[in-house]
Amino acid sequence: MAEAFALKRSVPVRHVFAIYWRSLAAQIRSVFEYPADLWVMASAGATWNLLQFAFLAVLFATVPDVAGWSFHEMLLLSGLLSVAGGANALFADGVWSTGSYVVRGEIDYRITRPAPVVVQVASSHLGLQSFGEILLGLAMFGYGWIGAGLGLAWLPVGALALVCASVIQCALVTALCAVNFWVKGPMSIFAFLMIDLQGQSMRLPLGIFPAAVRIVTLFVVPVAFVNFVPVAVLTGHLSAWWLIGTPLTAAASLALAAGVYRLGLRSYDSSGH
Amino acid sequence: MPILEARSLTKNFRRPDKASGFKGAVTHLMQRKYKNYTAVNGIDLSIEAGESVAYVGPNGAGKSTTVKLLTGILKPSEGTVRVMGRDPHAERIANAHDIGVLFGQRTQLWWDLPVEESLKLLKHMYGVSDADYRARIARFDALLDLGEFMPALARTLSLGQRMRADLACALIHDPKMVYLDEPTIGLDISVKDRLRAFLREMADDGTTLLLTSHDLADIEEVCERIVVIDKGAIAYDGPIRQLKAHYITTKTVHLFLEGPADVPVLAEKFPDYDWAAGEAPSEVVVTYESNRFTTAEVLGSLTSRLAPRDLSLSEPSIEDVIRRLYAGELTE
Repeated sequence: MAEAFALKRSVPVRHVFAIYWRSLAAQIRSVFEYPADLWVMASAGATWNLLQFAFLAVLFATVPDVAGWSFHEMLLLSGLLSVAGGANALFADGVWSTGSYVVRGEIDYRITRPAPVVVQVASSHLGLQSFGEILLGLAMFGYGWIGAGLGLAWLPVGALALVCASVIQCALVTALCAVNFWVKGPMSIFAFLMIDLQGQSMRLPLGIFPAAVRIVTLFVVPVAFVNFVPVAVLTGHLSAWWLIGTPLTAAASLALAAGVYRLGLRSYDSSGH
Repeated sequence: MPILEARSLTKNFRRPDKASGFKGAVTHLMQRKYKNYTAVNGIDLSIEAGESVAYVGPNGAGKSTTVKLLTGILKPSEGTVRVMGRDPHAERIANAHDIGVLFGQRTQLWWDLPVEESLKLLKHMYGVSDADYRARIARFDALLDLGEFMPALARTLSLGQRMRADLACALIHDPKMVYLDEPTIGLDISVKDRLRAFLREMADDGTTLLLTSHDLADIEEVCERIVVIDKGAIAYDGPIRQLKAHYITTKTVHLFLEGPADVPVLAEKFPDYDWAAGEAPSEVVVTYESNRFTTAEVLGSLTSRLAPRDLSLSEPSIEDVIRRLYAGELTE
């Protein structure tokens, strides 16, 4: 524990953020030197979201609502989830490489530098699809917002939801990717499972699922706080009290991610002895 | 006080005893089985500021593991490390400002960024001032010719360029203690020469250096002290000169005779020396103990009685000594 405090004190938070932004900015600059890659990947991200939109549009052409949720309310769900996924790819895509960095011993240099390893790993790569995902996600969210008749008064809640969704998504993916410190392999299977769980259940109202799914997504892997809870509060499906859970989950997820990563580093034994 | 001090440094690794693939991983999660082995076994090492130390040993001897323990990448199973009085693992961030690390087998450059961007990111990470940064880059450029590939993406560099850029990365914050793990691996002669000259200058300037290499020319040209490690333990620690004086006790003359050499006959004629056939039929290799006979004596008697067409003298290299140390033929 003393170790953890010593680490925190010796790197000021502002310096950590500066390092993080510089690394991301350098990646973004280099991306714009190869615009073809950017367009292909961003279009892929956008297309994926258009498919989500089309799916909902077709669904709601045949049914008036799903478990009491309207087309526009479900657009809010989908849009927020897309923004969260895009935020992961934009701000912390590097964490997906944790497993391959571990097996190839590429954490070594990062340990010898004066910055938190998780920050260096998170900012080591940029998912180009994020630009399309975030743009289309925001478009869906905005369209749903207007269609659901949410006024300007709710905007602060909307902003909080967007920020918290991004933070929770990045943090949970980071924590699950850090499992690869112990389960050696380049594939972040547990993070993939979480994304799959979200894709299967979080674009639909949670009420249609059995209790087990609700318990898991609310309290075990709290992905429901990424999009479902804030949207349910915005649209009156849940009481406003639930909203407190969102920033709390964001803070808890961040602490979890940092803790798991730190524990993982402790059992890191490099490669090539 | 030594800049680096390791006491009874030991590292045991657990290797998972598991089947391959995802299924193996899942089974391993349920039923954990491990095998233990010791990579570094009770090493004591003390390095004074300004020393340049070569750390050599055969493959798998524990060199890289030692470097990782000394740099704080790995936590020792037993024993302690102190670098400038700090535990490099527990006080990793503070330690990072004082050390520079190069692993020749890997790069620390950002793969998709120009070299210059990597250096700038490190500059900010270490908090190097603009003036210091410019001065250091100018110096690296003069000695390592960085300029030609500063704007190139790391992934497009040749191995020699990559290594020079990595060396600049390792030294951009002017560290007091520098670890170089195989800095010349895979490089051609001219790049090696340039790198060695640079390292020699660094050592002369008073930077403390720990260098591992399989190329003993690196070691002889850059370092004064050599630590030989084998099977995780230190086999020799002392000045390179002394290692030579201690173990190099014989010299060799290659004689090229007019006709084919008859080794048994020659051995009978000169029983004080060891005789062996050379590569050519007319070549013969004579080995004598340098503390019993002077070279002039040996050459005098050989040339007067055999009248060779040509001859050449050779001294066992440090390489031979190390090879014999590895083979366990020599003990301290």
